[in-house]
Amino acid sequence: MTRLRQSLELGLGLCRTCGLAVSRASLKVDRRCPRCRSRIEHRTPFSIEMTLAWLIAGVVFYVPANLLPVMHTSGLLGEADSTILGGILEFWRSGDWDIALLIFIASVAVPFTKFIAIGLLLLTVRKNSRWQQHQRTALYRIVEFIGYWSMLDVIVVALTAALMQFDVLGAAEPRAGIAFFCAVVVVTMLSALSFDPRLIWDRPA
Amino acid sequence: MNPILICRDCDTVYRAIPLRRGDVALCRRCDAVLARYFAAEVESGLALVCAAAIFFAIANLTPILSIDIAGIETKANVWFAVRSLQHGWISVAALGLAFTTFFIPAVQLALLFWVLLFARFGHRPPCFGPIMRLLHRMRPWSMTEVFLLGALVAIVKLANWVPITAGAGIWAIAALTTVLALLGRCDPASWWSIAPAVKT
Repeated sequence: MTRLRQSLELGLGLCRTCGLAVSRASLKVDRRCPRCRSRIEHRTPFSIEMTLAWLIAGVVFYVPANLLPVMHTSGLLGEADSTILGGILEFWRSGDWDIALLIFIASVAVPFTKFIAIGLLLLTVRKNSRWQQHQRTALYRIVEFIGYWSMLDVIVVALTAALMQFDVLGAAEPRAGIAFFCAVVVVTMLSALSFDPRLIWDRPA
Repeated sequence: MNPILICRDCDTVYRAIPLRRGDVALCRRCDAVLARYFAAEVESGLALVCAAAIFFAIANLTPILSIDIAGIETKANVWFAVRSLQHGWISVAALGLAFTTFFIPAVQLALLFWVLLFARFGHRPPCFGPIMRLLHRMRPWSMTEVFLLGALVAIVKLANWVPITAGAGIWAIAALTTVLALLGRCDPASWWSIAPAVKT
């Protein structure tokens, strides 16, 4: 088995947009990909800083997303504001444990996993750690994959509010929490997209 | 085909070998997918895009869910959901939902149609590079499948209280999700291979 080598050793570069392998010599003149004209960088510039900034924004938005109500319902049974956690508990109590679990995974477990996973990746990359490189790369791919499923709750609230328009019989309206929750999804996705997984494999210079 | 492959996740360089149907090339160091067998069949791609466009139209023109209480009927589809979030400054969430479940899938389909249509007649599509870059940028933000799951959750959630029925739209969304998956979730990297085949 031949030794595995990284692109710099072989004088190559990768266009992250179109996946073309480009020789560094040709990039001396023009730092753009010959195929798609995207800028080619050895590593995503300011990857750690951008990832951290979006991550902090995500954690900050996550607080009002959970504390503020996401939906206001009114009807014959009175009025109520519901939060994400409150909604999950309600499903759980009424016996719909499967829906409770699904919303719990999408709205609580996924964002939490993202915060912890991205935090861990940033910390280990900062320390130039060589610990579990393979598993950490897999962790990055999981974070990238699960990211957008958190939008689930925003969609459920929007559909409920669109359907429950029966005035006195029953009506639902969105509340501020859902906007913060939407922001959490967008911002944590930006955080994951800013992270350059190749940093996991780089050795200290 | 690229003679050299570089792993996106760990930067390891490989010499490419030809792949057969169903083959997936994995990185030896980090297990990332380096390449997948992909027959850039322009004609079938174009057919899939047209099918997706039809499903997209059905999903947006017919109700996905509807409730009927004593003769009063309410309906919901992607646009109704977006409109229901327009509520003061909460409208930023409406904007997020509109982009991820309506505008981005629509633009993806339109651009892919443009690219494949020109490729079908042997021309390099005008603005090929910028279009492919845009498609690449939009890819993580297309959330049709999440909308499908959201609609299913909404059915179960509301079925306890009100008589809720699924309309033609939900089948259209399900079909759209499938067709988009077949199109490689509009992964532009797979469609670059049509470029050398078309004349400049």
